Amino acid sequence: MLFPTLDFLLFFLVVAAALAALDRHFAARKAMLVGASYFFYAQWDWRFCFLLAASTTISYVAGLMIGATANARRRRLIIASGVALHLTILGIFKYLDFLVQSANGLAHLLGLQHELPFIEILLPVGISFFTFHGISYITDVYRGDVAVCRAPLDMALYMSFFPQLVAGPIVRAAYFLPQLARPSAEPIPIAAAFLLILGGMVKKVIIANYLATGLVDPVFAAPDNYGGPDLLLATYAYAVQIYCDFSAYTDMAIAIAALCGFRFPRNFNQPYRSQRLREFWQRWHISLSTWLRDYLYKPLGGNRRGRLNTYRNLMITMLLGGIWHGAAWKFVMWGALHGGGLAVERICEPWIGRRSTGRFGQVVATLVVFHFVCLAWIFFRAEDFTVAGVFIAGLGSGWSQGLQQAQPALVGLIVIGMAGQFLPPGSFERAGRALAWVPHWGLGAAAGLALAAINALGPEGIAPFIYFRF
Amino acid sequence: MAKNQRPSGERPPLVADAIPPALRRRGVTPRQVFAAILVGALVLAVFASRDTPGWAERLGDTPLAHQARGLAIAWDERMARLGLAGPHEFLRAAMQRLLDWKWGDDNR
Repeated sequence: MLFPTLDFLLFFLVVAAALAALDRHFAARKAMLVGASYFFYAQWDWRFCFLLAASTTISYVAGLMIGATANARRRRLIIASGVALHLTILGIFKYLDFLVQSANGLAHLLGLQHELPFIEILLPVGISFFTFHGISYITDVYRGDVAVCRAPLDMALYMSFFPQLVAGPIVRAAYFLPQLARPSAEPIPIAAAFLLILGGMVKKVIIANYLATGLVDPVFAAPDNYGGPDLLLATYAYAVQIYCDFSAYTDMAIAIAALCGFRFPRNFNQPYRSQRLREFWQRWHISLSTWLRDYLYKPLGGNRRGRLNTYRNLMITMLLGGIWHGAAWKFVMWGALHGGGLAVERICEPWIGRRSTGRFGQVVATLVVFHFVCLAWIFFRAEDFTVAGVFIAGLGSGWSQGLQQAQPALVGLIVIGMAGQFLPPGSFERAGRALAWVPHWGLGAAAGLALAAINALGPEGIAPFIYFRF
Repeated sequence: MAKNQRPSGERPPLVADAIPPALRRRGVTPRQVFAAILVGALVLAVFASRDTPGWAERLGDTPLAHQARGLAIAWDERMARLGLAGPHEFLRAAMQRLLDWKWGDDNR
């Protein structure tokens, strides 16, 4: 069940009716949301619900056990076991076949005949996200950053809450569990929520979908059929597509959570306007980058043990961040490029500083970072290394051919997508404030009209969100 | 103390709320949220009626789905007769013209 579909609208209409009916019964609201979340998840495959329940149970029990003992060794043992269990589940469902394939490849190189059999398990949607939720909870309890959750209902809702269940944002236990302690006294920011939903719909239904089907998919499928200009524009188009696709999902998730009465953290902040790669990671998929920083980079030592260790830690963090996206060497390459880029940026920091000064320097820095990110996206999007190699080699040739695939409307969508990156900060807040005075039924009617227009402008049928497969 | 309240010494998470505090000061109740979504869904059903038969087609092969399909087709025809499917068709055709426009075309 995808957000921009009629199925989801009907589902959410029922959820909103139930939330309204249970307005003064907080525990019943939470129970209803858990039921709705499992129903939502079962739409992909009902068997996945058992996996989600198992992940929830592991986190809940590990939290209780850590809270029940003051013995440091025992606490370490419990957290290690809890995290290992989560990673084992993730490993089996997401990485086992990748490991088998890699082992078979290595055996083939060594001249060995024997091949390991593939397991061929269906990848449960959202498994990387709820695994990270579980690990974050256990670690936060161990560190004392969050109280032990003794209410099974709260833990079930934290792990399964449907807006963030399948593609994030990764909401920390310390951020979300306190919201489940008592009903929020805040009114529901309906104007901001509707703005986020409409913005997300434009980004996903119009920009991402047309760029994918009209330019990115055909060019990445056969890059040797196209000249440099088409390849370059397909690279820009993918940069815009993946941003619009993923940020649209999280915008809608944030809005839906807000309409249910909960707050979610920010996940994107105009990433392509970054002047440094480090800044890019402070603006792109913020909930993942801060998760990796707090649960991987810092425990590895962060930047506290000298330069070489800092570079090593950056590299390990980004390599694992790459493989988190998918079980394929191309994601490892993507992570290696970002890790290497961050390390090189650190080395150069005494000369280039943390931010560029002067308008010209800022423009150049933004262009350099954007193009570096685009280069890494080629590996991320290409089917494999061979296709990526053909694609990159093709960028330098065929410039006399002109454009075959990148037609004016698609170029226009790239420009619109990029223009959104350079809107003045605070634009969303200003728009939200202006709409806050419109009565709720007026907002509903206007949103309905806008959704009808977006639906008419978009292609028929909606492609799944890119991050669902991670 | 409530069950999930922060223990003493617990650090607040260093993440910013997606919806800024200024926008969370004014808002509505859950009942008003439901009313707004209901109004929005009705407006959408009126002006996006062209897509309802296609949606009903994807519901499967159950008796309920057949009934929904019949209702969706009847609803779409009714809206088309009232001229309410016009904006949808106009926008879709305009978008198609834009997508068909090629470099070097003079007659858009």
